[in-house]
Amino acid sequence: MVVLIGGLAAAALVRFSPGFDVDENTWNPQFSAATLEAMHNTHERENSLPRFYYRYLRAALHGDLGQSDSLKQPVADLLRDRAPVTARLLGWGTLGGLLLGALFAWIAVWPRRAGLEILAVSSGGLMLAIPPAVLALAFFFEEAPLSLAVALAVFPRVFGTIRAILEDLFTSPALLAARARGVGPVSLALRYVVAPALPQWLALAGVALVLGFGFIIPIEALCDVPGIGQLAWKAALSRDLPLLCGLALIITFAVACVQTFGEIIGAKQ
Amino acid sequence: MKRMRLIAMILLVLIAALGALAPAIAPYSYDAQFRDAPDAPPGPRFRMGTDEIGRDRFSRLIYATRISMLLAPAAALASIVLALAICALLKYGLSALTTICLSLPWIFLFIIMRAELPLSTGPVVSVALTFGLMGVAGWAWPARVFTASIGDMKQSGWLMQARAAGISPLRIARVYAWPHLRSVALAQFRVLVPAYILSEASLGLLGLGVPDPLPSWGNLLRDLQHPDIVRSNPWVLAPLGLLMLVMLCLELLQSQREVSL
Repeated sequence: MVVLIGGLAAAALVRFSPGFDVDENTWNPQFSAATLEAMHNTHERENSLPRFYYRYLRAALHGDLGQSDSLKQPVADLLRDRAPVTARLLGWGTLGGLLLGALFAWIAVWPRRAGLEILAVSSGGLMLAIPPAVLALAFFFEEAPLSLAVALAVFPRVFGTIRAILEDLFTSPALLAARARGVGPVSLALRYVVAPALPQWLALAGVALVLGFGFIIPIEALCDVPGIGQLAWKAALSRDLPLLCGLALIITFAVACVQTFGEIIGAKQ
Repeated sequence: MKRMRLIAMILLVLIAALGALAPAIAPYSYDAQFRDAPDAPPGPRFRMGTDEIGRDRFSRLIYATRISMLLAPAAALASIVLALAICALLKYGLSALTTICLSLPWIFLFIIMRAELPLSTGPVVSVALTFGLMGVAGWAWPARVFTASIGDMKQSGWLMQARAAGISPLRIARVYAWPHLRSVALAQFRVLVPAYILSEASLGLLGLGVPDPLPSWGNLLRDLQHPDIVRSNPWVLAPLGLLMLVMLCLELLQSQREVSL
């Protein structure tokens, strides 16, 4: 439902965009005023929002997301070519961000030392103050992996939640009893930290993926990475609404899948 | 820690005052061009040097502070007001609507809306539209929090008692519900301001934020795309430094609120 409504909003944007109703035949002197009016009426009727959306959706179900105005290529082909680049950057970046967040949250919670806690919290705060795009530019010019820039942008945004989860778990009676019994640290981590909060970790991973995608657009655009983020930026600059519409549909679908997955895991728990 | 927060507050007030008093403090107008001195190094005439078309970087930074420090809170306020209005007016489908809005990454939603603007939009209107769109695009976050708070309130005993006593819905909203929602709205406002400052910076870097000749922290950061300029004039990093300082101050104040709540 979310995808359908998101798609409708995107189709409405295309349908009511400036210039959609403009027909090049208007300036053709061979057509009379009556013919032009008849053509205009037909165009209006054929492109009413419900009809336009129905046609768009039917084509989308068959893999046809339309043609990009600026790049003169099918939108589906453009997405297919660029998706792997974005998936790699986003996947590694989000994973790195979650691992960094977990590491710093562990430093803040586990050793119970004020100095280490301040260090972890300050690191998160400092990274939060840097625009992700600036971070990416620094990595780009230093020829460092851009996924690390995504990771550093994601890390402070998940740090607080991971810290809260860890604080809850580390004060749980089960974990305290296990520590008192002398259970090893790896076993403690797996049995009393990872396993009980697995749904929360998965839901957080979904949120981190969505967050990461938000950072991907400026990072890919500024660092010349040929992914979906750069495509979205180019589409916005060139006002390529069919491309933006296709991107909106696909991105809404992907995000809805991630969120639904998180909700299903949560409901099962 | 208390002293740190006091310093953060003082710094924020000073930076806001710097922006508010920009015409009095800045030696030149933000769009004054000195064609005899493009890319001038820092010196007595231009404290931070000039950009590639001969505009004083220091003056532009001060005017940029005014725009960013004034309009980010305005956009946050717009989001809060819009979210409250939608929560008050929409009885059904609010949850689905917020889910849809939150399903798209915010920046993507924004660039779609930005692409719809006519090309002939002037700089001042464009600034208002940029921050206005931020406000509109960001309504769903506070709306979700307000929905949860209103849901909790509906279950509360005092509301049932007020209803049973025959108090009008308007009075319940104004006298009983608003004091509860006000603290939530303030917390959301404090979360949204830094988020919008950072968003404007990212959009400015992409060329989708405040358009030239008006300066903002975001469009001043565009010089960072040229490492040779950064190496020759490190003052180019000043907008980034100021932005980070403001963000750190806001974070410190935010953590103070969290502790006190």
